[in-house]
Amino acid sequence: MNRHRARTRLTTFVAYAIALFATFLSLFPLYWLFVISTKTPREAFKTPPDLIYVPDFSKYLEIWGSGFGESFLNSALVVLLGVALTLLAATPAAYAIVRFRIRGGRYVRLWLLLAYTTPEFLFVIPMYVAYQQLGLYDTVIGLAIIYQVFAIPFAVWLIESFLREVPQELGDSARVDGCSELQTLLKVYLPLAAPGLAATSILVGINMWNEVTIALSLTFDEARTVQIAVAGYRGYAAIRWQEMAAAAVTAVVPMIIFAGIAQRYIVKGLTFGAVK
Amino acid sequence: MTLFRRPAGRRVDRGSRFLVPALLILGVTSVYPTLYSIYMSVFDWNWGQRFNFVGLANYLDVLTGDRFRTALWNTIVFTVSAVSVEFVLGLGLALVLGRLGFGRGVLRTLLLIPLMVSGIIVSMIWKVMLDPTVGIVSYGLQLMGLPRMGFFGDPGMAMATIVLVDTWWQTAFVFIVLSAGLQALPTEPFEAANVDGANARQRFRYLTLPLLRPTILVVLMFRTVDCLKVFAIIFGTTGGGPMTTTESVQVLAYRVAFKQLNMSMSMTIMVVFAAFAVLVLLLYQWLLPGREREGAA
Repeated sequence: MNRHRARTRLTTFVAYAIALFATFLSLFPLYWLFVISTKTPREAFKTPPDLIYVPDFSKYLEIWGSGFGESFLNSALVVLLGVALTLLAATPAAYAIVRFRIRGGRYVRLWLLLAYTTPEFLFVIPMYVAYQQLGLYDTVIGLAIIYQVFAIPFAVWLIESFLREVPQELGDSARVDGCSELQTLLKVYLPLAAPGLAATSILVGINMWNEVTIALSLTFDEARTVQIAVAGYRGYAAIRWQEMAAAAVTAVVPMIIFAGIAQRYIVKGLTFGAVK
Repeated sequence: MTLFRRPAGRRVDRGSRFLVPALLILGVTSVYPTLYSIYMSVFDWNWGQRFNFVGLANYLDVLTGDRFRTALWNTIVFTVSAVSVEFVLGLGLALVLGRLGFGRGVLRTLLLIPLMVSGIIVSMIWKVMLDPTVGIVSYGLQLMGLPRMGFFGDPGMAMATIVLVDTWWQTAFVFIVLSAGLQALPTEPFEAANVDGANARQRFRYLTLPLLRPTILVVLMFRTVDCLKVFAIIFGTTGGGPMTTTESVQVLAYRVAFKQLNMSMSMTIMVVFAAFAVLVLLLYQWLLPGREREGAA
């Protein structure tokens, strides 16, 4: 009995050691990014590195004057517009899937999965051509529209799982009381699923904020997003590491905060609504 | 007449209306460009005056040329390596975290943070950390008495380095989905196995793995299609080099379209590659039990 307990204790100790080591490996690169953003390149690349130093936050202010501010604003606009569009389209779609047996429903779901998984350049190159002609190239609106390809499927799966938690009897009794299906969605389902919709917005927003492939191809200067701005610190001769790191930290921190706010729902989001 | 329409039938028809906005937007953003790509793939177009019908010549070029075959091979090597490594580590982490009591929630949240970082920022972080001369990792290797390594710049190592970067970035996805799957497993079979005297290895082999199979397949499916699409972490680190050792299909398509302006060739590449990706996806769908299909795991 004693030996058994000793063994369990040892396993628990090993489990903690592994978990802490994995956490260290996950966080150290981000800590290092922060260190680079607060040291001049000469100090940052000195070996051995100074562990104790006076952090220099000056680049965090300087980057705003040199175009990063516009990119930050562009990304914020893309996210706001894109998420609004996603919610308007995905909420009724998820409602339809949850409340009705739809003809060809299987194919709708397969289409969502295909749209979510097709490699970006299959639609980005044709959209580059179309956007040039329509005047949507290098615009915030153009990006917000094309981002729906991955945002709508993701949001439908997620909102669907939140709507399923609403008891069906509530919807049915609203119908008996004379509500139309649209009113039932707006007055019964939406208030109950509101926290889920908020979490969906945050997760879709994070995906849009972090998007690189499409933004790189469909923007140039006017609608340049925050990620492309970070990549832009790679000059012709050398990378401006301190500015780049400061811009990167500025771009990452809000996402970590938002993820923290939606923490309860993050697991659900990452498992596409499969798990609470 | 409408008065006598069967309620059940009405229910079906009225539901479809709610799908219209989503399907309209997806039609414009996914169906239209796909059809356009297929149409353009039988022309020779260089974003200028040159616009000739060439039939299947582009397809012949893509399928017989070395460039696409190399890129496809690189993409497959990357996908198989990254998905395997991430799966083993993610499953291991999920099992390890499952044993913890105090602090499990906090550690789980902290482990998810890499997922909130964009591909381009991930690239930049690892580019600076793995720099052969000034990188902190090189310094660490030197302290341990290990030889200096080229990482992204070494043709023999660049692909492995990109797999390492993806592992840092995405293992948490495998970890979190499998953790959730493990927590949702029924407890009775495990109690029964305990009574029957099964050891830990037997319980894992004959209970945990088979019960977890649907979740495992969903994780592998999403990681696989995501890895096939790999772009940002290559674009941000090696750009496809040295030579073409890390050029994935999407990096190739980007170069052909935006550097060489060979639009129709790029679309042909993507039509072929998307067909390949869809086949892989359908293979996973076929392996999944009915209830778990179409992403609704």
